[in-house]
Amino acid sequence: MLDLTRRSLIVGAASTGLAPTLLTSGLARAQGTPKRGGTLTTILTPEPPILVLGVNNQGPTTLAAGKLFQGLLEYSFKLEPMPLLAKSWSLSDDKKTYTFKLQDNVKFHDGHPLTADDVIFSITKFHTELSPRARPIFSKIKEATAPDPHTVILTLETPFDPFLLMFDVSACAIVAKHIYDGTEYRSNPANQHPIGTGPFQFVEWQRGNFVRMKRFDDYWMPGEPHLDEIIYRIIPDSQSRALALETGQVQLTQSNDIEPFDVPRFRAMPNLETELQGWEYASQISWIEVNHRVKPLDDVRVRQAISHALDRNFILSKLWFGIGKVATGPIASTTRFYDPHVAKLQAYDPNKAKELLDAAGLKPNAKGVRFTIKQLALPYGEVWTRLAEYFRTALGHVGIEVVLETNDAGAWAKRIGDWDYETSTNFLSQFGDPTLGVERSYISSNIKKITFTNTGGYNNPKVDHLFTTARESGDPAVRAEAFSEVQAILCEEVPQIWLMELAWPTIHDRKLHNVIRSAMGPNAAFGQVYFE
Amino acid sequence: MKAFARAYARNKGAVAGAMVVVLVGLVAALAGWLFPFSPWDMQGAPFRPPGDTDFLLGSDSLGRDVAAGIAYGARVSLLIGGVSTAVALLLGVTLGAVAGYAGGVLDDVTMRFTEFFQTVPSFVLAIVLVAIFSPSLGSIVVAIAIVSWPPVTRVIRAEFLSLRSREFVQAAHVLGHSHTTIVFREILPNALAPLIVLASLMVANAILLESGLSFLGLGDPNLMSWGFMIGAGRSVIRLAWWMSVFPGLAIFLTVLALNLIGEGLGDALNPRLAHRR
Amino acid sequence: MAPARLARLLAQRVVKIVAVVLAIAVTNFLLIHAAPGDPASVIAGESGAADPQLMAQLRAQFGLDQPLTTQLALYLNHVLHGDLGTSFRQGRPVAELILERLPATLLLTLTAFLFAIVTGITLGAMAAQRVGRIADSVITVLALGFYATPLFWVGLMLVLLFSVWLNWLPSFGMNTIAAGYTGWVAIADIGQHLILPALTLGLFYMAIYARLTRASMLEVASQDFVRTARAKGVPEGRILRRHVLRNALLPVVTFAGIQAGQLIGGSILVETVFAWPGIGRLAFDALLARDYQVLLGVFLCTSVLVVLFNLLTDLLYVMIDPRVQTP
Repeated sequence: MLDLTRRSLIVGAASTGLAPTLLTSGLARAQGTPKRGGTLTTILTPEPPILVLGVNNQGPTTLAAGKLFQGLLEYSFKLEPMPLLAKSWSLSDDKKTYTFKLQDNVKFHDGHPLTADDVIFSITKFHTELSPRARPIFSKIKEATAPDPHTVILTLETPFDPFLLMFDVSACAIVAKHIYDGTEYRSNPANQHPIGTGPFQFVEWQRGNFVRMKRFDDYWMPGEPHLDEIIYRIIPDSQSRALALETGQVQLTQSNDIEPFDVPRFRAMPNLETELQGWEYASQISWIEVNHRVKPLDDVRVRQAISHALDRNFILSKLWFGIGKVATGPIASTTRFYDPHVAKLQAYDPNKAKELLDAAGLKPNAKGVRFTIKQLALPYGEVWTRLAEYFRTALGHVGIEVVLETNDAGAWAKRIGDWDYETSTNFLSQFGDPTLGVERSYISSNIKKITFTNTGGYNNPKVDHLFTTARESGDPAVRAEAFSEVQAILCEEVPQIWLMELAWPTIHDRKLHNVIRSAMGPNAAFGQVYFE
Repeated sequence: MKAFARAYARNKGAVAGAMVVVLVGLVAALAGWLFPFSPWDMQGAPFRPPGDTDFLLGSDSLGRDVAAGIAYGARVSLLIGGVSTAVALLLGVTLGAVAGYAGGVLDDVTMRFTEFFQTVPSFVLAIVLVAIFSPSLGSIVVAIAIVSWPPVTRVIRAEFLSLRSREFVQAAHVLGHSHTTIVFREILPNALAPLIVLASLMVANAILLESGLSFLGLGDPNLMSWGFMIGAGRSVIRLAWWMSVFPGLAIFLTVLALNLIGEGLGDALNPRLAHRR
Repeated sequence: MAPARLARLLAQRVVKIVAVVLAIAVTNFLLIHAAPGDPASVIAGESGAADPQLMAQLRAQFGLDQPLTTQLALYLNHVLHGDLGTSFRQGRPVAELILERLPATLLLTLTAFLFAIVTGITLGAMAAQRVGRIADSVITVLALGFYATPLFWVGLMLVLLFSVWLNWLPSFGMNTIAAGYTGWVAIADIGQHLILPALTLGLFYMAIYARLTRASMLEVASQDFVRTARAKGVPEGRILRRHVLRNALLPVVTFAGIQAGQLIGGSILVETVFAWPGIGRLAFDALLARDYQVLLGVFLCTSVLVVLFNLLTDLLYVMIDPRVQTP
């Protein structure tokens, strides 16, 4: 396990003259000498509604707006904080006061200089009001002060160990106070023409067609960005996207642009490079979402049986074409506090599954059916449909009849939020720390009629207690112990049936360099990206 | 009837079409015997090309048998095409006949109602309906029927309007025949030819609509239909062309055959034309 | 037809158009709101994080916390004042969004429509003239073939052929972005992008028109007045043009009147395959996101277009077939 807190005290003295990424270990080395110029054409899908983070926090929004806006920090592949708008930071001995020193000469795209006021506004007002992810964390801030225009001091009520993981662009993009303060954030006209501090500035957005951004000449990092322009094309059809990459009409694809079955083909193409790193911060885990209110899914033996009935290696190799990893428990192996010694899931064993179901009193009827459940397929692309079909077939083999339901994204989110499902499929980001992205799905205080809470309704006081201990302790050792114990319990009880640690391939032209350099992956600002 | 059969038989395309449809019907009926397993079951390795020892038409991304899918899919596609067309015809002919024959206020009301359905883009309406009721066999059939009837009404009404003022109908009026008699004995048979052509187009259209819905991810997830198979196969088209080519061919052939039948029927039902040949 | 009668017909029609549009607004409003889920739940679902405060904020902002009847009354009031509202997701006026994307769809559909009607009627007439002969069979099978193939499939095949293998035409989008083209070069660039989608959409409808023209011409050719004309010794070409084709166009015109709506439906698929930035795709995305205002706006806008088109059809009808009384 990483000792993140201590290291962050030592690290964090990068001056603007040095490429900050060179300071930390575990990073891709810079390749060759960067060259100025060129237009990068890439893909954005689905089209985001708005390009201001906070007002909208969807994946595609982060991808494009990540070039326009920046956070205080970035994270290495090992989730160590790296300087971005904050050139250094420190933590007081009582672990409650964080002091950030900002970079000099940072300007917004409208020419206004960035000051500590903008940062404090963004943290304590903008994102605290808008973002459900930021709200519970930033409300722990007792006091936010700016002793000088380049220093921000945040004092917490109590120590909060994962605090530094909340400052990347996706969690806390720094916006301009002079634009947003005192306005209705969601309907501010500036949302149509985003103003940030990123290396690229917004030029135009033809809805349904493309988003264009150009080099920001007053960018604070000398010599960057190298590219002249970035164009995000909106291409709704996956085959058209693959074709665009194949014919060189776009030079970069990321996230779910390319369906898994196309990836092996692109991997084999000599002019393209496929990278799987860059999603360590998100570390999404997919699972079969189980509604514990539906009998017999409340029986731990039934859930274990389902877990035994699924061949995760088949799912990985045949559905995801080997991209990603088989899940071993509720915490992804790339997230902090993952404990490989306790994280072990039920192995693929249909016979064991049948025994467990027999033991649970669920004997097959004349047709060989023990019971029937519904599976609400995830409407986010074809591979999820295939997964639902595999789920039906695999469970059919142990005598559980599965009836598939499909809904579009609107109805899906509504039904999950209303607990109106029996089983479904879901995947969630972990944001580097189990307190930030894992506990929400399992603690009983988060059983709410909203998506991405503990919608399944799992309730275990012991688990609640362990997550609370880990959240409230400022001591990584105490947290590690609690998380190890919770992983052991959850792996035994399988409140959700975890399937895979997802990875999203970033495929790009080999002439394009410095694409994936941190755990932000393609969401990073791309100041260093250049064409050969 | 004999004359009709002879006229029909003279059209080689129509005969071939009938044979194809019968064949498709047979495959649909015998699917369970030809492939005694669920078309969803994985039968072997994925992505086996056609002609493989286990798979006549290859296997899909999960190792399912494409041939079995086509056989079972025939049931679904024929069912969806047939039922939705029947519903749409019933609706459309009734309304069209009422509007065209009665005229006046009834015509006006009916046409407003029809216009209303026509002014909303039909595919969009179908998508919305399926989205609202959740994709299932029932919702898909209903949605297709609801968007398919207006053309029938318009064509029937146009025929009625035009026929109403023809000499033979006016003669029937003079002879004192009742409205029902006139509608069913004089006008409807004369309006039958374009209707049959239209109906054959509609069954085909329903099958195509279903594949379009599936393409956008709005098919019934529990039914192996051809549309679903194309939807599932189209994204791996260069990896496994057979996954979308064979169901595509199945749709193509069936729709083609249905149209040829319609054409043949249309020609055969048009006695003067048959005579001219 | 007398000008006074024409004016009365038009006046009647305008009143009806307003009524139809209102009916469409109400029905679609209710229909769309009957769909499970609302914009807030979609946004929450996509963001990967949500809490009750966010949902409440969003619903209040969108006015979804009001009773449905209030929402409907508000909406109708706005529509009658020519205001289509603001997109929930994008925060921009719906009219602006539609106007931005309408030209693309009109360009695509009109090109496809013109192509379809010209080639369709020509092929149909040719087939009818040569009924039972090789040319007839070839045209019929060709038309049937395009009719029998799913639209998106044709699109994919065309892309495979012309973009992937031959590399002649671009496979997606409407123009080359940031190429700095102006004038004729820009138009040629759009034209190049237009070929495949317009062909995809057009071939299908060409098949319909060809079939309809053929069937309808054969129908008309066997009728009494044609026989009379023939008996009177009117030249065959003249019969074909003056009598047969003119009358045979009736069902074709009927069908064409519906095309405005149909084409937009078809353009959803084509716009999806070719990433064409039109309103078909706008409507589909709006449906998935439950962006009610946008979807309603697109419905209304296309409905008005179709109603106008139908009016045009009716007038044409009267001109082609003098026997039809004006309604």
